[in-house]
Order: sequence, then structure tokens, then C-alpha cells
Amino acid sequence: MNPFESFRMSVRAIRGHRLRSVLTTLGVAIGVAAVITFVTLGASLQADVIGEVSGGQSPSMTVSAAPDQNQPGPAGDGQAVFTEHDVDQLREVEDVDAVVPSGSVPVSGLAAGGRTLGYNQLTATTPPYFEYVSRADFQSGGPFEQGAREVVVNEPAARLFPGNVSVGDTVTVVRQDGSRVNATVAGILAASEGPFGNTPLPQVFVPTDPFYDNSLSAPSSDSPQRVYPSLTVVATSFETIEAVQSDVRGYLDDESDARTLKPESYELRVQTVEDLVDQIRDLLDTFTAFVTGVAVISLVVGSIGIANIMLVSVTERTREIGIMKAVGAQNTDVLQLFLVEAVVLGVLGSLAGIVLGVLGAFAATEYVGLPMTFPVEWGGIAVAVGILVGVAAGLYPAWSAAKTDPIDALRYE
Amino acid sequence: MSDVAPAVVLDGVRKTYQLGGQPVHALRDVSLRLPRGSYTAVMGPSGSGKSTLMNLVGCLDTPTDGRVVVDGTEVGGLSEEARTEIRGSKIGFVFQTFNLMPRLTAAENVALPMLFQGVPGRQRDQRAADLLDRVGLGDRTDHQPNELSGGQRQRVAVARALANDPALLLADEPTGNLDSETGRAIMELFADLHEAGNTVLVVTHERHIAEHADRIVHLLDGGVEREERIAEPRRPTAAGGQSAGGSGGSSERSVGSGGGDGS
Ligand SMILES: Nc1ncnc2c1ncn2[C@@H]1O[C@H](COP(=O)(O)OP(=O)(O)OP(=O)(O)O)[C@@H](O)[C@H]1O
Ligand SMILES: [Mg+2]
Repeated sequence: MNPFESFRMSVRAIRGHRLRSVLTTLGVAIGVAAVITFVTLGASLQADVIGEVSGGQSPSMTVSAAPDQNQPGPAGDGQAVFTEHDVDQLREVEDVDAVVPSGSVPVSGLAAGGRTLGYNQLTATTPPYFEYVSRADFQSGGPFEQGAREVVVNEPAARLFPGNVSVGDTVTVVRQDGSRVNATVAGILAASEGPFGNTPLPQVFVPTDPFYDNSLSAPSSDSPQRVYPSLTVVATSFETIEAVQSDVRGYLDDESDARTLKPESYELRVQTVEDLVDQIRDLLDTFTAFVTGVAVISLVVGSIGIANIMLVSVTERTREIGIMKAVGAQNTDVLQLFLVEAVVLGVLGSLAGIVLGVLGAFAATEYVGLPMTFPVEWGGIAVAVGILVGVAAGLYPAWSAAKTDPIDALRYE
Repeated sequence: MSDVAPAVVLDGVRKTYQLGGQPVHALRDVSLRLPRGSYTAVMGPSGSGKSTLMNLVGCLDTPTDGRVVVDGTEVGGLSEEARTEIRGSKIGFVFQTFNLMPRLTAAENVALPMLFQGVPGRQRDQRAADLLDRVGLGDRTDHQPNELSGGQRQRVAVARALANDPALLLADEPTGNLDSETGRAIMELFADLHEAGNTVLVVTHERHIAEHADRIVHLLDGGVEREERIAEPRRPTAAGGQSAGGSGGSSERSVGSGGGDGS
């Protein structure tokens, strides 16, 4: 039989069983839509996070001490093991532009504009931090000076106080022992969005001198020195970053104070921005794979739905199949009819699924606040899979329909 | 009758169904020969095996034993595909239970056998409309079977059987639900087909319908009870049903005088 005639007959059969057809189509559509939504969401997230992490970066690496585990992730506050001596030595490494230590200063509160707020920690660092590490621009003012009683706050922190603190205002730091230290606001950082689209938390930065007093007697000099949990080593360029990384590694492993100060179970890490990007990409790939797996399962469920409905449809139409065969329909004709029907349902489902999926992806990325990145090839794959699912799911029922014995089929009530 | 190549030959045919281990002998040792261009009627009480016989001749079923030869080929030895091909191209079958496609219109039902023979669409529609016209359903072409009366469905089934201009027409009680006037129209169609040289086999309970044939085969309990030649077959154009030929039509079962109820 001419395939076009099969198509016409199939369309009739589909329209003749409206509810059943809609349910089948829905099964495929939901499967395809789920794949597209999840994959798009994954791709958008990946593009955005990687863009955020790598965009506008300086060729820097983070040095930290953390428990020896093979878990990836950005360096958090590890143990404070890097001494002033280490900082000075690292500055001497070839092609190093700057070494920026940072650590936290535990406090009890902050007071400004006649209001005292509970606040637990300030970030202590050096002025180059604002040039190399922080990615926010100054809204007003500028970096503090080392050795001065100055602070830099970000915009959310500035807004904590009545009337918003501004450059030149005095902020009183209430230390944990209850002593109060007055500091002048040197600059206010503009609020920038984090990689996941969240607004940043309030942050208050102070110079290590005089605020940071976390110190130990360093093995290298026997005198107490400041120790920091993390350092940022800035290379002169991305070209030199790898060489710098290995030199830094070498220094840390062979000569540093940190190597003796760190607990046995800790390791010293040197993580470049690219490492971080790679790790995040890995993480997101895993996430996307997981999410795609979920979507594929829904597609499989959809296909089982098609197979099920096609089987019911064959049983229901046993008598009709018998009639067709009695008046001269060959097995191939019957097979073709049912396959075309399955494919038509698969295609309809896929098309509906694309529309649903794109809408879903749009809604989801909009909700999370990501720019949408639509992986076109996945749209194609989803449709191909939808059609394939239609054929695969329709194959067995179509085959069993085709081989029905007409005389038995005619007797079927 | 030139018996050179008979349209249908049954030779010692048996058909036994198994019903829960219990054999049911629907046909036992039936031998029959339908010469090309012959017109044969089959009569017999309910359950005597008439429909079973039609299914065998119509290549829908195969015998348990014996040979069924249609158009020179033994059906039992054919592949399903070959049997389907014969059904589609050479045989027109009016089923006792009509067997219309429920979701197709009358016209589409009639066109269905042509579809599987690859007849182009326009030609199919043309012929379907024509045939429906001839069975008196020219105004019902777009109705689905459930929108038709029993007699109308039967006429759609007749029109469908004629669709491919079959060399062998098999009709299982084609006038069972019809008044004498529409019945006459159907018999007229059959007569036309017969006159064009095709072979016709009709199952009926009505003596006056059977008398259109040149021979009546009486079945009883799955066997041929006797064959009866009709010297002068009725012609449907003689409109007054009872008057023309032998007047024995008062009781349907008058011929098979044996105990006919055994099933
Ligand atoms: N599939 C089947 N399984 C078991 N027995 C069957 C089957 N088909 C027919 N029979 C039996 O075979 C016998 C002949 O049946 P058949 O349908 O040929 O009768 P018939 O002469 O056409 O009767 P009617 O005039 O009522 O149509 C009956 O006794 C019937 O019960
Ligand atoms: Mg019967």
C-alpha cells in the first residue's frame, strides 16, 4: 500500500481515538519536554557559571590548607598556616605580581550612625586585594591603606546602618573582648552579583595591620608573625601562570613555614582560576548528566506508555485488522498502518514536547535568573528520540497486529 | 459446463474444531466442484457447516483434511501472503455478519478492498459511489455503519464484495435482512456478475433466492445431503418474487427433511 494512504488511514485512526491519542502524545511530549528543559537548564547554568567564574579574572591562584580529601571545590577558610615570611618569600618568586593574604577577624559587632549591630567577622587583607581578587568596582572612595584604621565595606554592608554609611564616616568595630576601635570608611564597593545570581552578603574589609592579629611564632624566624588561612598569588600573565603555579608548589612543599604548621592530614593547595573553572565544569557536567538521566527516564516512561497504548489499540482493533486482512490487506500493509500511526504519534509528541520544553526551559532559566542557552543539537536529539521511541514502541504491537490470523480476528468479539 | 479448469474444487474436505478437547465436526468429507462461470446456492439448517465451507473456499481458513483448490491452486499449500493476494484480487466475500469497518464510512468501506489492490484514489471513490448507488445507498455514502440499518449494512457489505470485480463471489446469506424488493436488487447485481462469466456461490435459507442458481447444494450435519439442478433458474428481472418458478418457497426448510437441528 502506498505510504500516503497509510498516513491517511493512520490520521483517521488517531482522530477516531482522540483520548487515547492525546494520552500517548502527552507521554512522548512530557518525555521530550523534560529532556529539553533539563538539558537547557544545565547548559545555561554551565555557560553562566563558567562565564562568571572566568570572566574578568586576573591570572591568579589561591593557596590554602585544607583537609586531604579529593573533593573539588573552591578553597574555603582552611587552617591559618601561611606566615608573613611565606608571603614575602612568595613575592620573590619569578613572574609573581602580587601576593595577597586574607583572613578573617572575629568581632562582636559594628556601630555607625548611632546604631550598634551584631556582626561576627571582618575580612582582613591588603590593598592589592581590591585590584586583583575582589571583582567589584568601587562605588565611591578607594582601598584602605595598610596600617591605617580604615575599612572598606560593600554596598549591602553600607545599607545595614541607618542613613547608609558613606566614605569618610566613622565605623566603630567592637572586638570580641569588648574594646572598641574607630575606623574611617575608605571606600564602598559596588554590589556585584555572585555566580549563581544571588546578591552578595554584606562584607567589611579591613587592613591586616592593625586589625589582624592571628599570629604564631614562625619556624623560620622564631618570632611571632601573622598567619593567614589563604593567600592569593597573582602571576604577571596567564602565560606564566603555570610556571608560577609549579614554583609556588615547590616553595610550599620544600621551604615554607606552612608545610610545618599544617596538620599531617592537611594538604597545601594551589588552585588556579582555571582549575576552579575546570572543577566547576566537571561538577556541572555531572549535574547535567544526572538531570539528563532523569529526563531520559521520563522519555522511557513515555515510550512504555506508547507501547502500552498501541498494544491496547491492537487488541481493540483485532476485528478491524481481521476485516482488512479478509478483504486483501497484506501483513506489510497492516504493519505499515500501525507503524505510521506510532510514528505520527511520536512526531506529534516530539513537536509538542519541543514547544513545552522550550517554554519550560525559558520559565526555569527565568525563574533562576539565568540567560537561556538553548543547546540546539539537543532539540534535534529529543525529536529523533521521540520518533524513535514511537517506532520502537509501535514495532511489537504492529508486528503482532500484522500476524493476526484473519479468521481468528474476525471471530474476536 | 466445460469442466476444463473449475473455479473451485473441494476434495474430501474435513474441518474439525477442537472445543475443550472435544472435536466438533463442522464439515465431514465434502467433495464439490464449481465450474467456472457457474452459479451455485448452498442451503441447509443452521449449524450444518455453510459458513465453514464459505471460509474455506474464500481462502480465509484451511481444511483439517482434504484439498481445497481455488482457481487451479491448492489453498492448503499456499503462504498466508498468497492466500491474502487471492482474497484481495479474485474473491468477493459477503460475510454473514457483514464485517464492516466501524469507523469508516459506507463509501470508504466499499473502497477498502480496492485500496489494498493499489487502485488510485479517484477511481476508488468513483467505483464506490457507483456500487453504493446500485445497491440503493447512493444517499448514504458518508454514513458510518452504526448510522445504518441492518439491511443497509448488508448492502454495503455486498457492494464491498463487488469492489474488485471478483472472479469468484461468495455471499453468506446476502439477503437475510432485506425485503423482497431490495433483495431483488442484490440478486440482480449477482446475476450481472454471473452473466459476465464470473463464478457465484450463495448461501441462503430462502428457496426462491436459491432458485436463481443453476444448482442447489444441500448441506446437512457437515456433509452434502444432495445436489439439485435447477433446469430454469429465476431471473431477478421477473419482479414478482413467488410467481415465476417452482412455488416450493412456503417453508424455508422444506427440502432438508431430515432431522436438521443437530449441531
Ligand atoms: N471456531 C469454531 N470453534 C468451534 N466450533 C465451531 C467454530 N466455528 C463453527 N463451529 C461449529 O461448526 C458448525 C458449523 O458452523 P457454521 O458456522 O459453518 O454453520 P452454518 O451452517 O453457517 O450455520 P448458520 O446457518 O447458523 O450460519 C457449528 O456446529 C458450529 O458450532
Ligand atoms: Mg453461517
